[in-house]
Amino acid sequence: MTASDALPHLIDSGCLTPFGDDIATHRALIEGRLAIAPHPVLGAEGGDSVPLALLPGRCLDETANPAWLGPLRTLAGRFKDGGWGQPRRPVIVTSSNFGVGSLYAFRRADHDPGHLDHGTPCSSTNLLRRHFGWGPDVTIYSHACVSAHLGLLQATRRVASNTADEVLVFSYDFLSPFVTGGFHALKILNEGFPAPYQRRETGSIALGDGAAYAIVGRRKGDFRLTAQRVYNEHHHFTANRPDGTGFRRVFDELGAAAKGRRVWLKGHGTGTLEAGRLEAEAFAAVFPEAPLVGWKGSLGHTLGSCGLVELAIAVQCMRTRQAPGTVGTQSPCFTPNVATSPLNLNAMDSVICASNAFGGAHAAFILSDA
Amino acid sequence: MLELYIQTLHTDEAGLETPAATRERLKSSFPAGAARRMTQLGMLVGTCLRPLSPETQDTIVYLSQFGESRSLEAYLDSFPCASPTLFQTSIHPGGLQQMLIGRQIAIGTVFPLSGDAQLVSEGLVTAMTAESPRVIICGGEERGTWLTEHNAAAEQSFAFALAATQERGDTCIGTLRINEGDVNAPGLTLLDWFRLLNTRTPYLGPAGAGWNLDLEWH
Repeated sequence: MTASDALPHLIDSGCLTPFGDDIATHRALIEGRLAIAPHPVLGAEGGDSVPLALLPGRCLDETANPAWLGPLRTLAGRFKDGGWGQPRRPVIVTSSNFGVGSLYAFRRADHDPGHLDHGTPCSSTNLLRRHFGWGPDVTIYSHACVSAHLGLLQATRRVASNTADEVLVFSYDFLSPFVTGGFHALKILNEGFPAPYQRRETGSIALGDGAAYAIVGRRKGDFRLTAQRVYNEHHHFTANRPDGTGFRRVFDELGAAAKGRRVWLKGHGTGTLEAGRLEAEAFAAVFPEAPLVGWKGSLGHTLGSCGLVELAIAVQCMRTRQAPGTVGTQSPCFTPNVATSPLNLNAMDSVICASNAFGGAHAAFILSDA
Repeated sequence: MLELYIQTLHTDEAGLETPAATRERLKSSFPAGAARRMTQLGMLVGTCLRPLSPETQDTIVYLSQFGESRSLEAYLDSFPCASPTLFQTSIHPGGLQQMLIGRQIAIGTVFPLSGDAQLVSEGLVTAMTAESPRVIICGGEERGTWLTEHNAAAEQSFAFALAATQERGDTCIGTLRINEGDVNAPGLTLLDWFRLLNTRTPYLGPAGAGWNLDLEWH
């Protein structure tokens, strides 16, 4: 056990997806609904039709006054009275893309200098600071799709090291042609809809808008985060080591930490074939009895925010004792533990939440009843 | 008070040097052919990082306000036929990953930070709350072109990498301490921080809102 395993509680969490907040999102996933729909990959510039999950009323093309700011303000209203960004109550912001869609809009579309106000990670974060009234103590982490996990890890370390009383972790990623064009160029965002962990001929991912927050601190909450683990295999920019050792490195440690717990598994599961197979096989090897689900077949991959978005949904699963299955997936799957229907969690007390990212970055933690 | 002991430090002040000139200057530090595919920031950071011999049990804290600016510019200009390679290398922390992937060096914990006035102080807090015996603090910037004109990329290229430990040891060359300070104090920019390292200059003062830095050289 490490020092940061000992103290922190998850005091609050919430998310925003095209379905709404964490309660609405959980309900929609239980019902097996899809947030993704076909959209032109480059927005107004057209291109192939690809599956994207955009917030209601938001188009893929960025506007100088960003359309995602209003929904984020609504989400931030859930923790507005915290005195956040002051000493002892720092904010950690995590994202993969921040406002980079604005740079695309400036360069490729309307050349409106208003986009430049929030095009970089720090200017985008400063926009949030101004609008949400945060103080200056704001840390920014960006590590692609494990960004949110790093925020949670450092939040627990700040509390454990007594350099903070409570930490707000805030994560957001909104789609733009910048990111959809990139994944389309990599050929994993294509016309197909994702079916995470399904054994099939062609892999496909979807991308989605997402934002979320979590508050970590000493105050007792209903849940605890433990055994937060990360590992960066650095095998290839966009591929994992083919023997799956990156996944096993993290899951083996969590397996030891979860001994005696009755766990279910929330995987990364984007819909790519190789990474999905490696993840499912590694999970099945370490947790052969535990059911595995993933939700990106409905929500799309919310990129740097996915770890926090899916944490908030997992919390709602623990509260309702019911978890959505792997929406969009049908048999045959890579491993027999992949669950395609909702799970009854009455016999479970913990969930392992995992994400992975470019560069062979792996991250996971245990969320359990306090 | 949080404290770390600096054991090794390498810096590279490329300034206004072009990416081509940096490549020519540093290509011998990388496997044959690898430098051709690396960005300027990737080469600068990789050159500083390599002598520290990163190991799996290390924590790496990577600081860059703007990251892969040249790749970002080129990627944006590759549309409507988006370049998959430029997309990959434009993503933070591509500048760090190029060397580590090139040499297949796995690292347990990597914290890539961005930011402006808080970047240095929060990077130091991240490093000093790490749970590994050794922490590598590295980073830098690469000079942009049209993004620089809009304050969205750096004006100068530079990189640094230092290895610090929780135990002082016999080879300590400096000490880093941070204490809680004035929340309204201005922060050190990444370029300020680089200059302190590059010239081995002591510093006692605000590092970022709420944090003071005491940097001593031995």
